[in-house]
Amino acid sequence: MTLRSSAPDAYVVLDENDRVVHVSQPFHDTRGRGVGHVFWDHLPGAREIYEPHLAEARATGRPVEAVIFYAGRLKRLLAIPGGDGLAVHIENLVELDVTSLGTLTRSLQQLDAELADRACEQHGRRSHASLRALP
Amino acid sequence: MAVTVRQELRFVVLDERDRIVGVGSHAESQLGPLVGTRLWDSFPGSEPLFKPYYDAARRSGEPVEFVQFYDGNVARVRAVPIGDGRLELEWEQLARLDTLTLDSLSETLDGALELLDGDATDRRQAVGRAALHVIEGGE
Repeated sequence: MTLRSSAPDAYVVLDENDRVVHVSQPFHDTRGRGVGHVFWDHLPGAREIYEPHLAEARATGRPVEAVIFYAGRLKRLLAIPGGDGLAVHIENLVELDVTSLGTLTRSLQQLDAELADRACEQHGRRSHASLRALP
Repeated sequence: MAVTVRQELRFVVLDERDRIVGVGSHAESQLGPLVGTRLWDSFPGSEPLFKPYYDAARRSGEPVEFVQFYDGNVARVRAVPIGDGRLELEWEQLARLDTLTLDSLSETLDGALELLDGDATDRRQAVGRAALHVIEGGE
């Protein structure tokens, strides 16, 4: 429930063959023309990165959240299975700035910090879950 | 290993105020529409990376050659003073970062950094360390 309420507004819905059947309004400019196409057709190299998470969501029937790096951006990916397909929510967290070595270094450090924060959150969730298991 | 990009040598001519006043045929499609504009206005963030070299060439009256990283590309640039404060710039793209995945970033970043001049050593090390953290943490 928490995951659903925090899902980014930008999402696509995929059918079982990874064909785009719906694009949310914030994605219309960039993904709107993709409706009817296989999601990977216009995203070179993305399949290996996204698909394990999408496959897990489909296999378990539960939402899967992951942080991935693709096309110069660190993204929060949330895959939510539903009756009308798999909703794939995507939120950009950090974008690499390749203007200069200085900007690249700073954005890599931001990216590193974001990954560390996410790792801490994951660890916190696990600890919380294990505490709840105590009598 | 960087993605090595060998291209035709391109050149532009700058006036004494760094406005583009001439463009070679190989750069026409990219820079032709920019004739009359100030170089730094058209390429945000580039001034501190390139201007010191151009100023040095104007001061000395001698050509200056260097390798610089800008906008994900590594290029060899040669600035040749041609009188009245004007400079002819020739450049050759040597490498380009591939930021599609962490693997491709890792592969291309090492090679791109190796191409840079020695005076960029500190910045190379900083970016290398930052990238190493991310890539090791992201895998």
